[in-house]
Amino acid sequence: MDSKALAEQLVQTCLKRGADSAEVFLETGRELSIEVRKGEIETVQEAASQGIGFRIFAKGRMAFASCNDLSDTATASAIESAIRFAQQTTADPNNVLPDDKGLASVDGLYDPQIAKIPMEQKIELAKTVEKMAMQDSRITKSSGAGYSESESEVFIANSSGLSKTYKSSGCSFGVSVVAEKGEQKSSGGESCTRRFYADLKPPADIAAKAARKAYELLDPRMVKTQRASVVFDPDVAGAILGGILAAVNGERVLQEASFLGTRLNQKVASALVTLIDDGTRARGLASAPFDGEGVPTQKRAIIDRGILKGFMYNTIISRRARVRSTGNASRGGFASVPGIGAHNFYMAAGSSSRAEILAGTDRGLLLTEVTGYGINPVNGDFSGGASGFWIEAGKIAFPVKGLTIAGRADEILNGIDLVGNDFDWNRRTTAPTFRIREMQIGGE
Amino acid sequence: MHSIQCLVSDMPRREFLQADFKSGLALAATPILMTELLTCMEAKAAPAKPALDPQMLDRVIQTALRKGGDFAEVYVENRISRDILMEESKIKQAVFGISQGAGVRVISGDRTGYAYTDEITEEKLKRAAEIASFVARGSKPSVPVGVRPGKSPAFVTVKIPLDEVADAKRIEIMKRADQTALSYDPKIKMASISYYDEVRGRTIANSEGLLLSDELPLLFFIVQTLGVGGNTRHMGRERLSMHAGFEMFDQVSPEEIARRCARESIAMLSAEDCPAGKMDIVMQNGWGGVLVHEAVGHPLEADNIAKQVGAFTGKMGQMVASEIFTMVDDGSLANFRGTTNFDDEGTPMQRSVLIEKGVLKLFMSDILSARQLNMARTGNGRRESFRYPPIPRMTNTFIDKGNDRPADILASTRKGIYVQSLSGGSVNPTTGMFNFTCRESYLIEDGKKTRPVKGATLIGSCLDIISNIDAVGDDLDFGPGICGKGQSAEVTAGQPTVRLRGINVGGTRA
Repeated sequence: MDSKALAEQLVQTCLKRGADSAEVFLETGRELSIEVRKGEIETVQEAASQGIGFRIFAKGRMAFASCNDLSDTATASAIESAIRFAQQTTADPNNVLPDDKGLASVDGLYDPQIAKIPMEQKIELAKTVEKMAMQDSRITKSSGAGYSESESEVFIANSSGLSKTYKSSGCSFGVSVVAEKGEQKSSGGESCTRRFYADLKPPADIAAKAARKAYELLDPRMVKTQRASVVFDPDVAGAILGGILAAVNGERVLQEASFLGTRLNQKVASALVTLIDDGTRARGLASAPFDGEGVPTQKRAIIDRGILKGFMYNTIISRRARVRSTGNASRGGFASVPGIGAHNFYMAAGSSSRAEILAGTDRGLLLTEVTGYGINPVNGDFSGGASGFWIEAGKIAFPVKGLTIAGRADEILNGIDLVGNDFDWNRRTTAPTFRIREMQIGGE
Repeated sequence: MHSIQCLVSDMPRREFLQADFKSGLALAATPILMTELLTCMEAKAAPAKPALDPQMLDRVIQTALRKGGDFAEVYVENRISRDILMEESKIKQAVFGISQGAGVRVISGDRTGYAYTDEITEEKLKRAAEIASFVARGSKPSVPVGVRPGKSPAFVTVKIPLDEVADAKRIEIMKRADQTALSYDPKIKMASISYYDEVRGRTIANSEGLLLSDELPLLFFIVQTLGVGGNTRHMGRERLSMHAGFEMFDQVSPEEIARRCARESIAMLSAEDCPAGKMDIVMQNGWGGVLVHEAVGHPLEADNIAKQVGAFTGKMGQMVASEIFTMVDDGSLANFRGTTNFDDEGTPMQRSVLIEKGVLKLFMSDILSARQLNMARTGNGRRESFRYPPIPRMTNTFIDKGNDRPADILASTRKGIYVQSLSGGSVNPTTGMFNFTCRESYLIEDGKKTRPVKGATLIGSCLDIISNIDAVGDDLDFGPGICGKGQSAEVTAGQPTVRLRGINVGGTRA
């Protein structure tokens, strides 16, 4: 039996065994990962796998069970476990299954070529990027290079008559190297992830960037504790965007655990800031025709020119909030209950070039690495470890390491005064280069 | 392929946060069949454990080594789990998981081949063995030793087996925590109670003739409370976790966990801006041990040393820390969260003194890195599930107790920050640069803990920090956490109260 028919049949099995309504989420996939170091294969890992998650409702109470054995005995056991477990949960009239039969139109989620390219070519790609990164004389060691790929097919069927499927692929390669000088060690890595093999960037670009990241931060200096501008490289945009993402989670908002919870349709950021969640972008790393419970995805502005326009919802939370699902049900795999998550989440490009942003900065930090949890979605506090380059009179003066930066979300988001036009799609959550007028920087 | 950022946290991050924060690190665009930490295990109603015939395992190992290679291993796992979430005093989620599978590994020189299967049949295992043997092509074949069932010491013992506990009992524990938290103070606006348990069955067989099986119970109980007031809000958190049966709740009650959590939520509502810059830190005993877990533990894992990229490469036998500093990894502490009977390669757990009175003594190894470094296996070969090959990981890692009285350490610190608890942190194992986020901290003024300050970041380099420890208390304690290094692992971090001089603190004011 094909997987779509199996998913539909299992919905019926759930109903026969006593569920009032039910959803079956079935996923099959395969993965390959290759790691090389010093020109030799270090690890090759390959597997195919599968699994089913059952979301079951009995007398309005929901429970969930998963198994990775698709035999009749195993699925029957999982279904019965879920029905039994449902006796323990609290009934919630808002917890219902969606019935939207629509699909968002999304191109380029699956590349049939990936599986056809011979393993040797993929090993060679990893070896090549490592070799290229080691060519720079400042690079002394390799931490390894690699290639990985995965394919997955998702089937969702539920007792409201919804039955949907899509297939997706992804591939990625990268390298990490070390630059040493005396007792100093500095590491740098770069990778490229795409839906299509042919879209991967040339290994020379990836290698050069990894090497540059490693050696550029040698001979760092300290600066005094002060307030100054901070220019965020696209590599560290997640430190700001991650906290906003969590703060626009509709469930957090209902629980009053979001610093943005009461700010709908108010100005929360500078007018230069537009944040978009897009599940429909062609070949997008986080695109899909429907979300983790089958609701069509969409493209929408979360913050439009500084104004907070909306929160993210799955079905249950949207009903509690008396709005419509925004197609943001996320799934961490077949074994998890749908939560809330973003698709391709990004800050729209602005008009300044990166060079203009740097040149216009009299004194400040070009932030290229940041550590910590980013913006705290509960209260908006931000604090992290920082590395990058010190800017003086519009020019990069010297590398800096071991600094801290801190601020509050209000001050950070409203302080964004320049947004770059150097937008790149290498990540699910991303932004062009942008500048925050002033932040607290901790040094000596 | 990337230098993996090692991080540790005091609770599982919801996938919502995880998916987006990890995006920069994720290897593949589509995380297929990701084993969710919280939702992938098994229970009593699950299919019985597949009977594993030793001769069948021998045949799989022979298949794995047919093309060459020096070592082969079969790891078979089954897991039954329950994951229950209570929020707003409602049982919102009840998630039951059954998973099973097996991984086959082949080592040939420095190369590792790995393949896994969800189906535990001889045919599928042999297929996995053939895929894993890809890396051994052209090397010299070796003859495996036939497997013989062995015994291991028991560091995990159970009084009340989890599979004999009624679901209603689990819910009752959660309700007790919920009621305690909400009645603690009117400023507590929400409580979130998360209960997780699993039983993980393991069978490990390898070409050295090893055959071991066991069943490991695990409990993870997390209370979070939201305090609202004083124009801010603070989410407090408290955890309890052990490899033990349900008797864990007799040792520490759910009410106690809830009270500790609510106390933090309220205390931090009056937090002020934290100063930025270099200052002295006194860190309270317990989970603060994540500091050495990150800053020192990860760089002491033997895989980075074997690659010669680790911060401690070439420093064995040297003085690397202050002489009052002794650091231990001990996977044999009875029923601790980081404890198992043997690691996921079958090596018995042990107490490993990593740094003794400032001198570097030992790296933490798995089978592969022990071979590469020509050192003994230390029982640190661990894996998240059958979908991952084992790598060197910490277990229960701590700064050993010293001679100072905690009260004296504080009183002799004129000015600085008193860190009562940390959320977690991360380290770059190559450079040794680490960071931590404070969960609850206070100003130290004239030797006294005074006003609370908002969550600050502590950063520095691992070699500096262990040289800057100048006081170690006699009050060793521990806290449970999750360590991520490409795969997640259950760990405990511990320490007595310690003082660190001159740490860079990321605050919001000068």
